[in-house]
Amino acid sequence: MAVRPLHMHDGGIVERRLRPIYDWLDNGNNKKALQEAEKVLKKSPTLQAARALRALALFRLGKGPEAFAVLDALAEEKPSDDTTLQAMTITYRESQQFHKVCALYEAAVKVEPTSEELYSHLFMSYVRVGDHRSQQRAAMALYKFAPKNPYYFWAVMSIVLQAKSADDTAKKGILLSLAQRMVDNFITDKKMEAEQEARLYIMILELQEKWEDILKFVQSPLYGQLVPGSTAQACIPYLKKLGHWRKLNLLCKELLWDNQDRWDYYLPYFDSVFHLMKEPTSDSESTADDTAEKCHEFICQLVESISSGRRLRGPYLARLELWKRLSVDGDPTALLGSGMALCVQYLRVFANKPCAVPDLRPYIAMIPQQEREEHSRDFLTCLGFDENSEPETTDDIQRHVSCIGAWRLSAAPLDAAACVRLADTLRRHYVRAVQRGLLTATATELCATDLYGILAAHHYFYAAMRQQSSAPVMEAVCLLELVLHNSPANFHAKLLLVKLYHFLGNAASADSAYARLETKHVQLVSLGWLHAARLPPAAAPARALRLLADTAAFHAHHAKDCVEHQTYSYKYGTFEKLVELMAWSARLERCAWCAGAARERALLALLAGPPAPPAAPRRLPAAPADNRDLNVILNWDPPQCQDTNLKERTFEQEMDYLRLKDALVSAIALCIELSDGRPIENKQPQYEELKTCIEAFSTAIEKCKEKYSAPEKISISGPFPSRIIAFVNSEVPYRELYSWTLRIVGALAVNEVEDAHRCLQRGAQLLRQAAGELRAATTSTSTSTGGDRAWNMRDHLEKLSNYLEFIGIITYLLGVCNELIAPLNTKKSKKKTNQSPEEIKTSELLNRLNETVQDSITLLVDVFENWPQYEFKTTLHEEFPTIDLEKYQRPVEEKLKNGRLEMINDISFILKKKSKYLKSLIQ
Amino acid sequence: MTTIRPFNCEDMLKFNNVNLDPLTETYGLSFYTQYLAHWPEYFQVAESPNGEIMGYIMGKAEGHGENWHGHVTALTVSPDYRRLGLAATLMKILEDVSEKKKAYFVDLFVRVSNKVAINMYKNLGYIVYRTVLEYYSGDPDEDAYDMRKACSRDVNKKSVVPLAHPVRPEDVD
Repeated sequence: MAVRPLHMHDGGIVERRLRPIYDWLDNGNNKKALQEAEKVLKKSPTLQAARALRALALFRLGKGPEAFAVLDALAEEKPSDDTTLQAMTITYRESQQFHKVCALYEAAVKVEPTSEELYSHLFMSYVRVGDHRSQQRAAMALYKFAPKNPYYFWAVMSIVLQAKSADDTAKKGILLSLAQRMVDNFITDKKMEAEQEARLYIMILELQEKWEDILKFVQSPLYGQLVPGSTAQACIPYLKKLGHWRKLNLLCKELLWDNQDRWDYYLPYFDSVFHLMKEPTSDSESTADDTAEKCHEFICQLVESISSGRRLRGPYLARLELWKRLSVDGDPTALLGSGMALCVQYLRVFANKPCAVPDLRPYIAMIPQQEREEHSRDFLTCLGFDENSEPETTDDIQRHVSCIGAWRLSAAPLDAAACVRLADTLRRHYVRAVQRGLLTATATELCATDLYGILAAHHYFYAAMRQQSSAPVMEAVCLLELVLHNSPANFHAKLLLVKLYHFLGNAASADSAYARLETKHVQLVSLGWLHAARLPPAAAPARALRLLADTAAFHAHHAKDCVEHQTYSYKYGTFEKLVELMAWSARLERCAWCAGAARERALLALLAGPPAPPAAPRRLPAAPADNRDLNVILNWDPPQCQDTNLKERTFEQEMDYLRLKDALVSAIALCIELSDGRPIENKQPQYEELKTCIEAFSTAIEKCKEKYSAPEKISISGPFPSRIIAFVNSEVPYRELYSWTLRIVGALAVNEVEDAHRCLQRGAQLLRQAAGELRAATTSTSTSTGGDRAWNMRDHLEKLSNYLEFIGIITYLLGVCNELIAPLNTKKSKKKTNQSPEEIKTSELLNRLNETVQDSITLLVDVFENWPQYEFKTTLHEEFPTIDLEKYQRPVEEKLKNGRLEMINDISFILKKKSKYLKSLIQ
Repeated sequence: MTTIRPFNCEDMLKFNNVNLDPLTETYGLSFYTQYLAHWPEYFQVAESPNGEIMGYIMGKAEGHGENWHGHVTALTVSPDYRRLGLAATLMKILEDVSEKKKAYFVDLFVRVSNKVAINMYKNLGYIVYRTVLEYYSGDPDEDAYDMRKACSRDVNKKSVVPLAHPVRPEDVD
C-alpha cells in the first residue's frame, strides 16, 4: 500500500521535505527512507510527521521495539495532523495493533472536535477492530456537526451489526427497532437519497421478518425512484414469504413474457403454481395458473412466442422442470408424456450447443432407472447418429458428442471390456477428426472434437477400475496429452491429467499438468484438494512445500485485505456487501484446507528441511469451513452411481485427519517448549499438557480406526480417498510409535529418568517392529498384483510417505533430546567420570534408538532405490502411427520416467541427510 | 436459461469452470472484494439451472465531467455456455446500470488479437475509439483496442469520435 496520503494539505516546506521519505517508502527502500527522515529531523527535530515516518521505516526494517518507542512518545503528544496520524496508522496496522489506532484518533478528535476527516478515521478505526458500539457513537457525533446521509447510515449500520451479534433476542429486537426508527424518521423527513440506503432499510426489516412492510416499501414511489425499474423483481421473495401465491403467479408470468430465458422468474412461478394447485379455487375467472394444465399451456405459449431466429432454452427447460416437480408425488405422463421423451426432445433442439448435456443432467436423473436404461440409446440416435457415426462438420461433431454424452449419462454402466471398446471407438473418432482437420481449437479456445478424447479418457478410467489394472489409465493419459497438445486451452484435459498422473503415483508429471492450469490466489484454496494435498503422500516434499507456502501466503494476506474492504463498504455505502464481506472473511479465516496445509507444511519441513523448530500454525478454527470446489471435474457416471454425499463424507474424513495432524503438531510444539532451560519444577504444567495431548492423539487414532475400516472407492472427479484411511489402517503402529517418541522428550525434559528409559527401550523395539512390517508390506505390494506395478504405486507411496513423515519427526525430536542432555555432554567431555550411571544409560539408550532410526532409513533408501519402473505401453501410437507427423512428441513415457527418477533422487538425498544428522548426534 | 444475480464472495469458490479458461484472469482476492465493496451493481453473474456459473461481468463507473463513464473490467463466459448470447445479456446489464448512473459512455479494453470478442463488441454497437500501444504485458507486449459505445446522455455522440493516433498506456486515464 502506498504510504503517501492522497491529499497533502500542506503545499509548502513540510511537504517538500517529506516527499523523498515517501518516495523511498513507496519504493520499498526503507533504509534510505530512514536516512532521509533522520536528515529532516536534524533540521526540525520536533516535526511529528517526520518522526512518524521514521518509525514506519524502522518497523519495516525489522526494528519493532525502536519504532514503537518513537510511536509511544508521539502518541503522548496527541498529534492531530493527518499526515502524522496516517503514517502512525500504517505502522500500527502493519504490526496488527489496530486498537492503538483507535486510541490515537480518540485523542485527536479531542483536540479537533469538529474535524470531519479525523472523525471518519476514528470511525474506520473502530470498523477494523469490529467495535460496532463505538462505531455508532463516532458516526452519530460526526453526523451532528456534519449532517450528511452517509454518516447517518454508518450509525444505522453499526446498530444493525450490534443487533446481529447480540445473543439476547430481546436486545436484538430493541436494537433493530431502533435502527428501523432511525430510517423511518429519515424517510418521513424525505431525506433518503441512495439505493444502498433503501437496501439497508430492507435488510433491517428482513432481520425483523417484517415482510409486509418490505413489500409496502418496495412498491412505494420512493423505492421506484431510488432503484428504478426493479420493483417487480424485488417483490418476488416477499410475495413468496407472505404466501401471496396468486399475485406472485401473475407477476412472474408478466415478467416471463418479456424474459423467456430467466430461470430466476420460472422458479417462483412454479412455486406459485404448485401452491395454488393445493388451494381451493376462489375465482374461476382468475388468470393465475392454478393447475398443471394451465401451467403447461403457459409454457407452450412461451415456446410459440419465441421468434424463429434464436431458440431460447428457457421454456424448454421449464417443461422439464414442470415434469420433475409433478413427478415428485404423481405421474406427469398423462399431461406431458414421458420424461425420457421430453429430454430427448430437448437434446434434439439444443444438441448443437455445448450446454445441452450440462442442462440435461439434473433431468436425466429424474427418469426412473429402468426406463432410462431401456431408452438410453434414444439419446444417441435421436439425430440419426450412433456410436460409430463419423460426422463431417464441426457442428455435427458437437451434436454427436452431445448425443453420446447424454447416452452415457443414462445407460447402464458397461463392463470392463465394453468400456475399453467404447473408449477405443471414441479415440478413433478423435484421431479421425484431427486428421480430417475438424479441430477448431486455438491457443485460447477449446472445441467440440476434444470431447471425444475426454469421454474416451473417462471410459478408459472406468475400465481400469473394473479391471483393477493400470493399462487403461496409461491409454487415457496418452490420449489426454494428445488432446492437450492439439487444444492447449482445454482445462478438462489438464484437470484429468493431474488426477490420473497422481493415480499413477507420479507427482512430477501431475505437477506439470497442474502448472498448465495456472491456478492462483483463491484457487489455491478451492482446488487445493486436487494437487497440493496429494503432493506430500506422493513423496514429493519439495514440490509440496512450494505450493503449501503459496497457500499459507494467500491465507495470511487475505485477512488484512478483508478488513480494509469493510472500510471501503462504509466509504461507498454498500451495506449489503459489508455483511457479505465479513462472512467471507470469516469463512476464509476458518478455511479447513489452509489449516491442514499449515500443519502439513510444518511436519513436512521436519523431513525435507534442516532440523529447525517447525513454524507454529495458527490455532485450529472451531468450525473449519469446507472451501473445496469438487465440481470442477465432470464425471459421466449414470445417476445411480453418483456419490451424493461425497462432499460431506470426504470433508468429515479430512477433518478427522486435520485433528490428528493438529494434535501431532501441538505435541511437537510442547516438546520444544519443554526443552528450554527452565528449572524442572516450572515445566510440570506443560508436561501434563503434553501427556493429555498424546492421550488425545492416541484415542483419536483408535476411534478413527474403527470408523474408517472400509476402503473408499476411487472416483475420477472427486478427491482420492482421505489420507486418514491409510494412516489409521497402517501395518505400522503409528499410534504407539508417536506416543512413545513424544513421551521420551517429555520424560527427559522433566528428568523422569526411569520413564524416559522405558520409553526409549519401547520406542526402539517398536521401530524395529515397524521396519519389519514395512519391509513385509513392500515386498507383498510389489509382487501381489501380477506384475502391474503402477496399479499400486500411489497407495504404496502414500504408505511410505507416512513413514517418511515419522522419520522426519523422530529425527528432529532426537535432536531435541540431544539438546536436553547437552549440558550433561559438555560435562562429559571434561569430566567423564562424573556422569551418573543413569545419565550414561540415557545416552546409551538414545544412541540405540538413534541407530534403529538409521536402520529404518537404510531400509527406506533401499526401497526407493529399487522403486519399480513403469511398464509403459499404449496402443495409441500403434493404431495411429501418423500422429507423430503432427509434431507430437509422445511425452508420457519420458515424463513418467523422469518423474520417477526425480522422486527417487529427492527422497534418497533427504534420507542421506537425515542419516548424516543422526550420526552426528551419537555420543 | 439463466439466473442473473449479483456476484457474491462465495462465487469465487466455484468460478473455476469459468476462470480456468486461459483468457480469463484470476485476480487477487482484494481485486474482487474491492469491486464488490465499491460497485456491487456492476458485478453480476449468470447462473445455469444446475447451479453452475455460466459467466460473469465486472465493471465500474469512473471519470469526471463528460468523461463519466461505465467501464467493463472483465467479461467472461464458460466454454460450456458459449453461443447462447450470454455475453450480450451481461453487457446489456452493465449498459443499463451505466444509463441509470447517467454515464456518457461505456468503454472496455480488448486484445487486438481477440477477434471473436472484437466482433462481438462491434455487433453490440461498440467502435474502436483508439489503440493503446503495448497495453497488455507479455512476451511480446500486445496492443489493446479501447472500444466505446455512447450512452443516451451523450446526445451528440461526442464520446465515440475515434482518435486518429494511438496512445501510450500512461496517457490513458
